[in-house]
Amino acid sequence: MAEEILNTPVYDDAALEKEYLDKRKIQIEEDLKKPFDPEVVLEVRHLRKCFPMKKTVTGKVTKELVAVDDISFKLKAGETLGIVGESGCGKTTTGRAILKLHKPTAGQIIFNGKDITHYNSAQMRAIRKEMQIIFQDPYSSLPPRSTVGGILSEPVEVHKIVPKDQVKNYVLELMDKCGLRDYYYERYPHEFSGGQRQRICIARALSVNPKLVICDEPVSALDVSIQAQIINLLKKLQRERNLAYVFISHDLSVVKFISDKIGVMYLGAMMEFGTKEDIFRNPLHPYTKALFSAVPNPDPTAKTERIKLEGDIPSPANPPKGCRFHTRCPYAKEVCKHVPPEYKEYEEGHFAACHLLDGE
Amino acid sequence: MSKMKKSYLTGKEIRAIAKENAKIIKRLEDYKNRKAEESEFLTQMHDDANILEIDDLHTYFFTEQGVVKAVNGVSYSVPKNAVVGVVGESGCGKSVTSMSVMRLIQGPAGQIVDGSIRFKSHDYKRDEKGEPVKDENGNYEMEDKVYDIAKMPISEIHRIRGKQVAMIFQEPMTSLNPVFTIGQQLDEVTFIHIPGATKEMAKAKSEEMLRLVGIIPENVYDAFPHELSGGMRQRVMIAMALAAEPRLIIADEPTTALDVTIQAQILDLLQDIKNKIDGSILLITHDLGVIAEMADFVVVMYAGKVIEQGTVYEIFQNPLHPYTVGLQKSKPTMSLDDGAELYNIPGNVPNAVNMPNHCYFKERCSKCVAKCSGDYPGMIQVSPTHYVACHLYSEEDSNNG
Amino acid sequence: MEELKDKETVSRETVDTELPLDRNVRLMSPTQMLLRRFFRSKLSIIGLVMVIGLFVFSFLGPLVYTQWGETDLDESGKTEYTTAITTYTVGGVEYTLHQTVEKTMKDNFLAAPSAEHPLGTDNQGYDVLARLMYGGRVSLLVSFMTVILLTVLGVIIGGIAGYFGGAVDNTIMRICDILMCLPGIPILLIISSAMDGWVSLGWVEEGMRIYILMLFLTLISWPGTARLVRGQILSLREQEYMVAAEAMGFSTARKIFKHLVPNVMPQLIVQMSLSLGSMILYEATLSYLNMGIKAPYTAWGSMINIITTDPNILQNYLNVWVPAGACIVIAVLGFNFVGDGLRDALDPKGRR
Repeated sequence: MAEEILNTPVYDDAALEKEYLDKRKIQIEEDLKKPFDPEVVLEVRHLRKCFPMKKTVTGKVTKELVAVDDISFKLKAGETLGIVGESGCGKTTTGRAILKLHKPTAGQIIFNGKDITHYNSAQMRAIRKEMQIIFQDPYSSLPPRSTVGGILSEPVEVHKIVPKDQVKNYVLELMDKCGLRDYYYERYPHEFSGGQRQRICIARALSVNPKLVICDEPVSALDVSIQAQIINLLKKLQRERNLAYVFISHDLSVVKFISDKIGVMYLGAMMEFGTKEDIFRNPLHPYTKALFSAVPNPDPTAKTERIKLEGDIPSPANPPKGCRFHTRCPYAKEVCKHVPPEYKEYEEGHFAACHLLDGE
Repeated sequence: MSKMKKSYLTGKEIRAIAKENAKIIKRLEDYKNRKAEESEFLTQMHDDANILEIDDLHTYFFTEQGVVKAVNGVSYSVPKNAVVGVVGESGCGKSVTSMSVMRLIQGPAGQIVDGSIRFKSHDYKRDEKGEPVKDENGNYEMEDKVYDIAKMPISEIHRIRGKQVAMIFQEPMTSLNPVFTIGQQLDEVTFIHIPGATKEMAKAKSEEMLRLVGIIPENVYDAFPHELSGGMRQRVMIAMALAAEPRLIIADEPTTALDVTIQAQILDLLQDIKNKIDGSILLITHDLGVIAEMADFVVVMYAGKVIEQGTVYEIFQNPLHPYTVGLQKSKPTMSLDDGAELYNIPGNVPNAVNMPNHCYFKERCSKCVAKCSGDYPGMIQVSPTHYVACHLYSEEDSNNG
Repeated sequence: MEELKDKETVSRETVDTELPLDRNVRLMSPTQMLLRRFFRSKLSIIGLVMVIGLFVFSFLGPLVYTQWGETDLDESGKTEYTTAITTYTVGGVEYTLHQTVEKTMKDNFLAAPSAEHPLGTDNQGYDVLARLMYGGRVSLLVSFMTVILLTVLGVIIGGIAGYFGGAVDNTIMRICDILMCLPGIPILLIISSAMDGWVSLGWVEEGMRIYILMLFLTLISWPGTARLVRGQILSLREQEYMVAAEAMGFSTARKIFKHLVPNVMPQLIVQMSLSLGSMILYEATLSYLNMGIKAPYTAWGSMINIITTDPNILQNYLNVWVPAGACIVIAVLGFNFVGDGLRDALDPKGRR
């Protein structure tokens, strides 16, 4: 297992690389053998997901795109983990890999004290109701030819959440909780606005009483005034049902508002991870700092000085060697170009991967 | 279950709508395609400091389900060398207004129904045949003319489009033609807008423009659009918009499709360009942060109408309309202490069909007064530059209260 | 004012999301929208009229036009006069003999249109109008059955290929490629000649020939539908609502039959109406080549086949074969117009 996680060539120097790889291998193997924490709803250990890019005629993969590279975190019930990052950083892939909608290449996913990494599809089907997903686009995520009632009662019936004769009442109650009027029951998705559709999506996800909900950019496609409604609704439902959320977004202010812990991703790797307070009061990684300063400030008097990032985001198919961020980092040193920084705990529960933090 | 049933249109109503639409569309299409003398659409600016004045513009979409009044009596103006930001949610008509200025409204359903768009163009003086006139020194003469774009026949619109008003679109991935190189596409702009331009001139101009937007021309001039990243393409789009030296650049959500760090680069670039060019920018976005950073004047739109306008300081520090206030409060800030719950505006963004006579925001408004059920509020001037359309600030009200 | 009170009683985030303003917006129901778009195009109306007209003509026509049945010969007899001119020379003088020969026959064949026979009779003495009606029944029925069979086959095979992907998909698609290379008519010709043998051996009845041929046609023409279904399913599988269905833990059968197939239906209906046109053509071709239904029964194609018996008919008795040709043209055009209209109505991107 450890070999699979570590197959990216990271060093220019072969000897150094071997030493580094050996060290990491031992550490990863130790990590993977650790007992599961019973308090934790979701634990991800060294998750890695590659997509094949080039194949030989016989189907052997010759080039891979490493979408998610060695990500680890823990999430307790009632908590929200926010994942922020720009396009191509692997945040959506992470979300789908956790649900095993993409088969993880390596690493472990521990859900509710069970290692589900190698569950087959029948085993997965049985626990699907405990983990749900909400998508970005409220238009394509609802089947166009079913009524709202049909959409919401189908999962309830399939998973036998309540006896058959109570399904309708259950669904109506759920709709009420999500701020949908009862007479929407017989309407079709195309009759609703984006915000209302997103409420339907949320109701659908919650219809099976999940413990964990992956929210994949749930408010990005909505108008500002509607975003606030949906965020408040998500927060309310979390309080009522003690849900754990993985909240994926590119919008820092939204992630900050809803999350307890935040992970910052860049080109498939976690750059920094910590509680909201840690990340916002004391951002360690230069990328996090730059991301914060790039958000336009809705106050015309406060003209903040930006940390300028030059250039474009490199292609995830061909990430830079050494530290992934060195091509755009304003503080990059020579070492950053060759040696990938170690992902370490700098304060309690506050992780980062940057050479500058190990400084002299 | 409540007695509110589905309220679908009946077949009879649908036929009535279709019949009515066909009649109006025919009239407007004929007007659009007519032949007209220049004098018919020449006009005068109301205030000479402006380069664009939109006056009581109505742009409707005649759909099968009824008339969508996407722009319903919008008036605002763009002063010379200023950045005007138009902000609002989806369907508020901000983009439709700018598309009306470019006359890019998709017919036959979309039509400019009423109002005027006065634009001061600065172009070569031309003789009757349309050839540019030279003065005694052999230089081309320039002249200012004020056109009413809304009244122009569609065949005359080439006088404005592209060379006087340029547009930057939201989607940099699809706004460039994939089969031509960046250089070819940039050169073309020069060929079209500068009479007698040679190949060398065009290339020099294109390279200058690329440099202006922070691109090293050698790397990009011969590249095809698919070889560039989103941020680079948006830069190229900006270079293309600038190449014709337009007097007005309409930037329609120029950074919405970009990542935060790339957005910051493009915003810096636009800031920089704003000072370098002799022209105005009309910036359309839903992002209040972008508006606050870029704009000098702000226009807030809601459901096809302007509900508040003023300088950027007035709008952000002293917002008056409850919608403007709500919009600003519902976006979480970057500071850590904004409470357990976000302020939100209840209800949905309205779809501008069958609008009532009273204030469109009434039902979502938390500060509703009895008067709000009356007529739609007029624009009330609260300072020389600050206007708001809300009954809370009407004079009779303050007299009474 | 009632809404205002309502608003205060519920907590802010669960506040009702529909306002009186939203109720002002009234939509068209999906059916209305479909009908509206379909009937907006004049061509689809014309197509629909053509198709319905042919059905009424073929299936209800014989109930009204009862004078003649499909196999009723007009045995009123026919007298044919032929003039013979003979020239012979007697003693250096040339004589010309004009002879009129009167020939009386049992059947009144090749009669001109009259009150008795609105479209005349054919070379056997059958009433053309009646045969046109009964022939239409065969042509339409055969094509309908073929299309339904073809669609069922295409949906199943295409659905399997699209849903499972990988090697299954590859295999099925290669079979499709091979089948698409096969020329339809020559293959049917070969099968038909083989069938001559089967008929003489008594394996199949002569009357079944056209049905068996069309069955073979189905077997080689399902790839079109299968490809369509596969393509649709491939793109639908990427839709987020399918990912949501996956995340819900629905079974494979539920995903395919409750979520995928209903969403392929619109395209299928279009494809079906378009292939109806081509099936009518195939049937007509086979009948024309005398591989279709055999006398005394008939189909449109067989009615045109009459011209091969006598060039005189091709030139001088247009009433015998032109109506059948017109029916084929109307049917094919009609189905194509309806198909195009449906496609425009069902494709939301085609909205102007």
